[in-house]
Amino acid sequence: MSQIAITIDGREISVAPRTTVLEAAKLLNIEIPTFCFVKGKSKAHCKICLVEVEGKDKPLRSCVTLVRAGMVIHTDTENVRNQRKKNLEILAESHFGDCKAPCNMTCPGQINIQGFVAHVRKGEHEEALRLVMERNPLPFSVGRVCPRFCEVSCRRSLIDEPIAVNHLERFVADWCMDHRAEGNLRIECKPATGKKVAIIGGGPSGLSTAFFLRKAGHEVTIFEGGDKLGGALRYGLPEYRIPRKVLDYEIKTILDLGIASECGQKWGRDFSISDLKKKGYDAIVLAIGALKAKPIDIPGIDLPFVHPAIDFLKDVTDGKKEFPGKRAIVIGGSNIAIETARSLIRMGVGEVTVVHSSSSEKIQAHKHSHKEALREGITFMSMATPMQIIERGGTLFMRIQRMATGEQAQSGKSHQGPTAGLNESLQADVILYSGGQEAAIEVFPANSLERKLVLTPTGLIKTHGKGQKTDLEGVWATGDVISGPRSVIEAVVSGRRVAKYVHAEICGVKKEPAESMFNFTRGNTFKDVDPVLLEGYAAQKRETMPSLEMEERLVCFDEVRKGFNLKRATREAGRCLSCGCTAFDRCDLRRYSVSHGVDLKTTGMGTRHQYSIDASHPLFEMDLNKCIFCQRCKNNCEYDALELACEGTDAQGRAVGLSFSFNDKCVNCCNCVDSCTTGALTKKDVLVPIINEPVRYVTTTCPYCGSGCQMQLKIKGHTIMEVVADKSAPPNYGMLCIKGRFAFDFIKHPDRLTKPLVRKNGQLVESSWDDALSLVAKRFGELKTKHGSDSIAGFSCARATNEENFLMQKFMRAVVGTNNIDHCARL
Amino acid sequence: MASLAITLGSGAMTNCISDFMNGESDVIFMIGSNPDTSHPITGLRIRQAIKKGAKLIVADPRRTDFAKQANLWINHQPGTDVALINGMSHIVLKEDLWDKEYVKERTENMEELEIVLEKYTPEYVSEITGVPVDALYEAARLYASPGKKSAIVYGMGIAHWAAGTDNVKAISNLALLCGKIGVRGGGINPLRGQNNVQGACDMGALFNTLPGYAGLTRDDIFDKYEKMWGVKMPRKQGKPATEVWDNILDGNIRGIYVFGEDPVLADPNAGHAVAAIDKLDFMVVQDIFLTDTAKKADVVLPAACFAEKDGTFTCSERRVQRIRKAFDPPGEAKADWEIFCALSAKMGYEMHYDSASDIFDEVCSLTPQYAGMSYERIDEKGLQWPVPTKDHPGTPVLHVGQFARGKALFMPTDYEPPKEQPDDDYPMLLTTGRDVEHYNFGSMTRRTPCIEKIRSEALADVHPVDAERLGISERSWIRIKSRRGEVKVRATISDRVQVGTIFMPYHYAEVPINNLTLNHLDKLSRSPQYKACAIKVEVLG
Repeated sequence: MSQIAITIDGREISVAPRTTVLEAAKLLNIEIPTFCFVKGKSKAHCKICLVEVEGKDKPLRSCVTLVRAGMVIHTDTENVRNQRKKNLEILAESHFGDCKAPCNMTCPGQINIQGFVAHVRKGEHEEALRLVMERNPLPFSVGRVCPRFCEVSCRRSLIDEPIAVNHLERFVADWCMDHRAEGNLRIECKPATGKKVAIIGGGPSGLSTAFFLRKAGHEVTIFEGGDKLGGALRYGLPEYRIPRKVLDYEIKTILDLGIASECGQKWGRDFSISDLKKKGYDAIVLAIGALKAKPIDIPGIDLPFVHPAIDFLKDVTDGKKEFPGKRAIVIGGSNIAIETARSLIRMGVGEVTVVHSSSSEKIQAHKHSHKEALREGITFMSMATPMQIIERGGTLFMRIQRMATGEQAQSGKSHQGPTAGLNESLQADVILYSGGQEAAIEVFPANSLERKLVLTPTGLIKTHGKGQKTDLEGVWATGDVISGPRSVIEAVVSGRRVAKYVHAEICGVKKEPAESMFNFTRGNTFKDVDPVLLEGYAAQKRETMPSLEMEERLVCFDEVRKGFNLKRATREAGRCLSCGCTAFDRCDLRRYSVSHGVDLKTTGMGTRHQYSIDASHPLFEMDLNKCIFCQRCKNNCEYDALELACEGTDAQGRAVGLSFSFNDKCVNCCNCVDSCTTGALTKKDVLVPIINEPVRYVTTTCPYCGSGCQMQLKIKGHTIMEVVADKSAPPNYGMLCIKGRFAFDFIKHPDRLTKPLVRKNGQLVESSWDDALSLVAKRFGELKTKHGSDSIAGFSCARATNEENFLMQKFMRAVVGTNNIDHCARL
Repeated sequence: MASLAITLGSGAMTNCISDFMNGESDVIFMIGSNPDTSHPITGLRIRQAIKKGAKLIVADPRRTDFAKQANLWINHQPGTDVALINGMSHIVLKEDLWDKEYVKERTENMEELEIVLEKYTPEYVSEITGVPVDALYEAARLYASPGKKSAIVYGMGIAHWAAGTDNVKAISNLALLCGKIGVRGGGINPLRGQNNVQGACDMGALFNTLPGYAGLTRDDIFDKYEKMWGVKMPRKQGKPATEVWDNILDGNIRGIYVFGEDPVLADPNAGHAVAAIDKLDFMVVQDIFLTDTAKKADVVLPAACFAEKDGTFTCSERRVQRIRKAFDPPGEAKADWEIFCALSAKMGYEMHYDSASDIFDEVCSLTPQYAGMSYERIDEKGLQWPVPTKDHPGTPVLHVGQFARGKALFMPTDYEPPKEQPDDDYPMLLTTGRDVEHYNFGSMTRRTPCIEKIRSEALADVHPVDAERLGISERSWIRIKSRRGEVKVRATISDRVQVGTIFMPYHYAEVPINNLTLNHLDKLSRSPQYKACAIKVEVLG
C-alpha cells in the first residue's frame, strides 16, 4: 500500500490511506481536541475536532476527514479555535456541576479541602496531611487558629451545619504527630538547583517561604532574631491555643525537608543584607512580621503599669505565668488583645475588661476566640474609646467614651460619634494595650543597603505588585511585614506566592501561571443552590469539639480544645457532601474550555438539576447533569452493557431528555468511567479530587491473572489514588477488569505485616530484622549439619517477581544446598 | 507445563493474546477455561475474535457465558477430558482431516498414537463423556478444518486434575495431528492461573530443573552455575511441593521456607498439610500478611507487595514485563529480593545485588530464553521469550518451522476416570473455580471494600433439577461433605452447572473448600486434583 504524504501544522508525515486527519495528527503527537471520537463507533457529532484544510472554505471534522495526497492541514488557527470555542460554549451552557467545591473556592490558601476530608474518610491520614501541606505547611497551627473562611461557604450548612473543616485539618496533623513521632512526613523536594536563599524571620510566612523554596530544590537558611522559630505563632498565641510541643513538631516537619536555621541572629544587630549578599545568597526574603506595638496616643499611656499587650504576651509565652494585680484592662479588639485577656484570666486576675471601639459583632478578633473569652468570664466593653489614663494611689483610672449603638449598627464605624452622658471611668491595677502593630525595623547606618528599603506610612515594607519585590535588588518581602497583621493562612499564602516569584527569578524561568479561575458551579452563594441538590441527605449533627472544663482551663495554660479522636473525625469527614468534581483532573470539557478561553461568566453554564443522580451501580455513579452526550462511555464498552440515549436535540443541537442505564452484561470493569470526558461518570471509591496537585503515574503489570495487563498506578504521595490504563499499551490497550482497576486496598490494609515476628514462648512477637534473620540462619544451619541439606524444603511464589523466584531457588540450591524448591502452580 | 515441555520442547503458551484481537484465529477451541472469570482481558480478546468471525468450540461441564455464545458447546462430564480429546483425534484420523505433511515432517511417534486412539470410537467416547456422537464429529471437524488456523485455549480446568498432564498430552496430540502449532492464530495456549506462574517456572523455582528448563543432568550447565556462584550445587532431584507434607510426616524434611504461599489455606486436603506443619522443627514464612500458615511459623518475615518494589513478571504469553516501585513498603517490610540477600549473607554467602535490575542481568546471563533481555529493552512493552540475542525482537509464536525439541513428540495417553467418582455415599460431584471479582484465596481482593460490596460470600451453584430434588431454594444454607471434610455454604440456583454437579469458588476463607478436595497428585507434574471430588449435600434451610 502506498503511503499518503500530508502536512499538519507545517510538519510532513506519510500515513496509510484511509487514515483520518485526527489519527494522522496523533502520530505527530499533535492533539486535536475531541469528545466523541471512538474509532469505528462515533458519529462525529461533537464538532470539536475541527481543523482547517487549505483549499476548503469551512473547517472540517478531523475525525471523519480522510487524508488525501498533498493535504495541508492547520489544527490551531484562530478560525478553528473560535469555532471550537463556540461549540464548547454551547456544551458548557447546559453542563451543571461544580469543578471545585465551594470550600475550596473560599479558602485563601486554596487548600484541597474536599480532598483531604475524603482522605480522612478513607483512613489515609498521612496522605491527608500531605495534601494539606501542598498548600499549607502549617496545618498544626492553622488547624487551631484559622478563622475558617471555608466553613462559611460549606453547602452542608443548608442541611444542618458546615463540616468542621478546621478541626479535621488539626486532626490529621495531630494524627501524624502521634503516629509519625520521628517527624518524617516524606514530602518530596525537587533536585537541588544550586541556588541559595536567605529568609529573615522564622514566623509563619518565613517558614512557609522556606518550605516552598526548599521543595523547589533551593538551599534555604532561616535567620531568626529570637531564640526559637515560630514568630507570631510562638509569641502571639499562648499555649492554650497552640501548645509548644505541637508548634515545635510543626517546625520540625518543615526543617526536616533540609532547611537550615540560625536563631538568635537579628537583622541589623548581627548581620546586614550586604553581609548575606557577600555570603552568596541568590535571594533574600524579609519575613520579619509586624510584632512591634504601635503606641496609642492618649494621655497617661506612658505611665508605669501600662504596657503594650504584645510585649506582655511575649513574656507569657516565654514562661511568665504570674501577674501582680487583681484587675486588668485590655485596650483593643484584636486577636492580640483577646489572647492577652485570656492569658490574664489564667494567671489569676479576677477582673479582666476588654475595651474596644467596635460593636460586639464586628470585633476584629476571630469570633471563636471572642466567644471563648466571654465564656471564660472576660468582660467586654464594646463601642468604647479610651480617653485618658491617670494613676491615683497605686490604682489606674481610665476614662472612656462610649458610642451610640443604633447608629453604629446601621452605618458602621465611620459614622461613630461621641455620645453625651455615656462617659465612664474604669479602675485597674494594670492596663495593656493593643493598638495595632508595625514592622520592627532597626535604624540602619546611612551607607547601608537597608536605607534603600521604602516603608509605607503605616510602618510596613513597601513592595511592588504581586511579585512582592522590595526596592532593594534581590530582596523580597512577605507576610505581615507587608500586609500588617493578618491570619496565619494569609501569611502562608503570601509565603507561597513569594516563593514562586523568587524561584522563577533566580532560576531564570517563567513563573508558573496562577491557577485558572475557570469554574463550573452549582451555586456561588447559598441562595443560588437548587434545593433538589440537598434532598435525600439525613441530618447529621456536626461533631462537637471536646474542650477542657471551665474550672480546669482557668487555672492553667493547657490547650482548651482537645481535638477530635479517630471516630469523631471519621464520622465528621463522612458528612462531606463532596460537592467538587472528582474528575477534575481528567475532565476534557474543562481542559478544552480553559485552553480555548471559554469565559463562563459571559456565556453561562448549566443552572438546573434536571436529572437525579443514578447511584444504582455498585462501583460508579452517573450524573447526567454533567453529561455532554459524547457517548464515549457507551462506545468504549466492549461488553455492550451501557444504554445512553436522548429524546432529541434542542435548537443548538444539544441532546436533551437523556437517559442512562446498564444491563446484566456489565462486568464492573468501569472502562466507561475512565472514558468519560466530564465528571458525569465517576467511581464511587475515588473520593479525592486532584486539583492541580502533582501526581505520578507508575506503569506496572497487574499482579492478578496471567494476562499481563499493563496498568498505571496514579500515585499521590504514597497512596494509589486510582488505577488506569494506557489506551496505546499492549496487551490490554486501556482495558482492565474489576480486579485490575479496583482490588488494591490490600496494599494499605492494617493487616499488612510491618515487622519481623519471632515465636517466643509460643507467641509470635515483634523482633528486629537482625534477630529474626540470625535465628533463621542458625536454625537452618543446625538442620543442615544434623540432617543434611535435603532436610530443608522451600516453597517459592508464583506471584512474586522473576528476580525473587530466581533468588529463592538460588538460595535453596547455592546456600542451603538442596533441590527441594518448588511452587504450587507449576502445571 | 510439564507435558508440553516433553511433547513440544517448551511448556509455555505457544502464541500471543493479541492474535485473538487481530482476528488471526479461524477457530478457537476452549477447554477447561472460563477466561471471563479467570482471565477477563484475555476473555475479552477472545470475544473480539468471535466478533471478527472466529468460530468457537467450548468444552466445559458448566454452561458459561462463552458456552452460551459458542458455535458448539460440549458439556462433557467433569474429568473426562482425555476421552473427549482422544475421541476428537480418533475422528480426525478416520475422517482423514489430519495434516499429513506436517505430521511427517515435524513430528515423531505417530504410529503409537494411532494404536492408542483406535479404541476411542465416537460411541465409546460418548458413553464416557456423555457427549452426543454428533457433537463429537462436529467438534473434531470444526477444530481440524484443514487449511484454517485453530487455537486451543485451556486453563486450570485442564491442569488441576490428578490426570492433568494426561489432559495436556491429549491436547498436544490433537493439535499436532491437525498441524495447528507454529502458526499465528493457532497453537496451544494455556492460560496461567497466577500472574507469574510462567516466570516462577522459567526461573527454575522447580524441584527438577535449573532456570530455563535446563534440567539437573547437564554437567556443562552445572559447571557454568558453579563457576558463577562459587559453590557446589546439588544434583539430586528435589521433592515437589505436594510431596513435602508426606516427607515431613516421614521425618525426611524438618524445616521449610514458605515464600508467599499459604498451604494451610490453599493445599488440597488442608488437614494433611496442617498435621505436617505441626511436626516441623522449624518454619519460616515470608509474606505480606499473617496468613494461616504464617500463624504457625517460627519466624515471619514482612515483605513488600508488587507496588513497593521493582522487578519483572512473565505473563502467560511469555512476555517479560516490568513492575515498578511506586512507594515504600509499610513499616520495616522489605522487598523479597532484599530479604533473600540479607538472609543469605547471614548464612555466610554474600549475594551482591544493588537492585532488581542487577539480579535480572544475572538471570539473563544464565537463562538462554532471556539472554537478549535487559530492563532497558523490556522497558516499554516487554519482550516475549525466547530472546536469544541483544538484537532479537522476541518470539510471538513458538515452534515456527521447528519445535524447540526438534521434532514434536506424540505422547499417546489413555483415559483414566477421575480419582473419585460419585457413588452411593457421595452421590454428587463438586467442581471448583473462580469468581471474576476475586483472586485465589482472597488475601488481596477480599480486602477491597468496593469489591466485597459486589461479591462478599461464596455461593454454591446448584442445578435447578437438583435444587428441586433436594429442596434447596435460592440463598438457602447447605452443608457439603466429602470423605475429607465438610463446609457450610449458601446455594444459588443456576443452570450453568450440570445436573448432579455443584460448583463452588475457592476464594473464601470462611468456606474452605480445600477441606473437601483430594490430594491425589498428577503422576508427572505432581499437581493435585483441585478441580473435583465426590460429595453429598445436606440442606440446612
